[in-house]
Amino acid sequence: MVGKDLDRSVAEGNDIVIDICDLRKSYRLGDIEVPILHGIDLCVKKGEFVAIMGPSGSGKSTLMNMIGCLDRPTSGKVVLMGKDTLAISDNELAELRGFEIGFVFQSFNLIPRLSAYENVLLPTYSNSRKGHNSPQRAKDLLKLVGLDDRMDHRPTELSGGQRQRVAIARSLINEPSLILADEPTGNLDSKTSEEILGIFSELHRNGCTIVMITHDPEMEKYVDRVVHIKDGYIKNN
Amino acid sequence: MLSLKHSIRIALGSIGSAKMRSALTTLGIIIGIAAVIANVSLGASFSQYFTEEIGSVGNNFIIIQSKTSNLLHDNELELVKSTPGITGVSPVSQQVAEVKYLSTTRQISVQGVNEDYEEVANIRMESGSFLTDKDKYVAVLGHDVAYEKFGRTISEKNTVQMTFVKANGETVTQNFKVKGIIASPETSFVQSGIESDVRIFIPISTMNEIMGEDYYWGFFAAAENMESISDVTDEVDSRLARNLGVPARDIDNEDAKPYSLLNQEEILEQVDQMSAALSSLLTAVALISLIVGSIGIMNIMLVTVTERTSEIGIMKSLGYKNKEVLTMFIVESMVVGLIGGIFGTALGVLGAYAVVSAMGMPHVFPLNMIFIGVFVSIIVGLVAGVYPANKAAKMNPVDALRHE
Repeated sequence: MVGKDLDRSVAEGNDIVIDICDLRKSYRLGDIEVPILHGIDLCVKKGEFVAIMGPSGSGKSTLMNMIGCLDRPTSGKVVLMGKDTLAISDNELAELRGFEIGFVFQSFNLIPRLSAYENVLLPTYSNSRKGHNSPQRAKDLLKLVGLDDRMDHRPTELSGGQRQRVAIARSLINEPSLILADEPTGNLDSKTSEEILGIFSELHRNGCTIVMITHDPEMEKYVDRVVHIKDGYIKNN
Repeated sequence: MLSLKHSIRIALGSIGSAKMRSALTTLGIIIGIAAVIANVSLGASFSQYFTEEIGSVGNNFIIIQSKTSNLLHDNELELVKSTPGITGVSPVSQQVAEVKYLSTTRQISVQGVNEDYEEVANIRMESGSFLTDKDKYVAVLGHDVAYEKFGRTISEKNTVQMTFVKANGETVTQNFKVKGIIASPETSFVQSGIESDVRIFIPISTMNEIMGEDYYWGFFAAAENMESISDVTDEVDSRLARNLGVPARDIDNEDAKPYSLLNQEEILEQVDQMSAALSSLLTAVALISLIVGSIGIMNIMLVTVTERTSEIGIMKSLGYKNKEVLTMFIVESMVVGLIGGIFGTALGVLGAYAVVSAMGMPHVFPLNMIFIGVFVSIIVGLVAGVYPANKAAKMNPVDALRHE
């Protein structure tokens, strides 16, 4: 039932989720301008499962921040769901994050005071889609990731794998166009990692668009396409 | 949009997760609000207490005191008595006498008055009756004189012996039959600092005969009502001034007149001014503690914001707008203020109640203080929260997420 909802974006007819053109990003360290990304071009279509791979310091986290609307490019274009992130206000950017992007982080990033159920529901306090019965949806999603008996547990009472499942459920609560996962298995053992990647594969089969940042070559077998990034350049496209 | 309900739930969760710290922060507000509430409420009780005390001294009374001896005589008494608006007047003189009952002797203030005094001074009798102008060697005793001063009870129809010292040093001793006992509390702090229940009244004619005098130390008069008391006092003043040869230009100059006038209204005004000044001073001190309390909230909110930096990053990554993060922290600060306000108001009310009860004063609590107390504490929380919340709202999501 939840999986069917995720097909919505395909039906809308807009095939391109991410369209990045000549993206440059540099940070200021005192008086020195430190360039991180040197002209990235990337296009992700609806329903794709893409891995962005590269060693640490390659700029992949910076790229993820741009895609995730957490930061804005110095120059170039990042267009998400047809919206140019350089042209919209902070509030619109926040809304774009709330509705269209579901984050899954390496360190789970759950709020420790809240139960699993409340953590999943948390994004809807700020942004919720019209017609959604969010509390019911939160329960359904927790069931989907196999945590229907752990809903009232706090993150500290859950294992790493279970925490990441809560985070995945949270990322799906507003039916986003894109799941953005930053090293989602980085803190997990190999068996648990496989379970988590199994969930991502399942989501992908149901039509979800997923971009995963990783440095683990093992991931290649799960994804449609691998984008290698090194020293701020994309090596293959 | 983040609703108030959800903001409060998030705030309560955060406050509950650091109970000891929250309790200590709240304590600052509790003390401040409690101090303000207690002071204002005590001020109201004091004011009410004094008004009642003064009311029990007499009904709409006017006191005329002479500054020199041999000034006020029977014709001045007649003058005051015949002033329109005066319902009664008693001459008053006072002597300290050695009073002996059985084998015990005490120094007690004895007042010479006439029969009008009973009504003018609002005297209530416990037993027997008050003096009349036909009485000669009879006395009416204050409550404490009858029951405590001599270590045994003096009853109606007992006899006490009083020894007076005349101006020339001669002593006169005379027996007085007790005619009545005055009910307690028989209050009068207006009367020259004598403890209210420790007094004896004898006829003024008898006192003057014993002392060999024909003048009075003062008059205790009553006006018809509180509305006219000021006009009646002025009229008495001008009549006395004319009669005693005070020049018209000196009528408003208290120092130039050989007598002074005081009425109930003026005393009430003075007491009101005094208690207002006192309670505003105390309230100012209490407000300072409230300011200190709000600085405490601000301080802890800044710590909270720093501690929860990564949480702010998470909220922002989940789509929370800057304004919503701002709201979240301001609401948290206001909730801390509100909790402090509720406990502080309760503590202030209870504290004032305890003090007022212990001092035997009337319970007057301005009800609106509860609303003002709670409202002020919320505002204090709001003001204290603005800076930390703004700091949280302005955080860059990437830096906030990376914060450990």
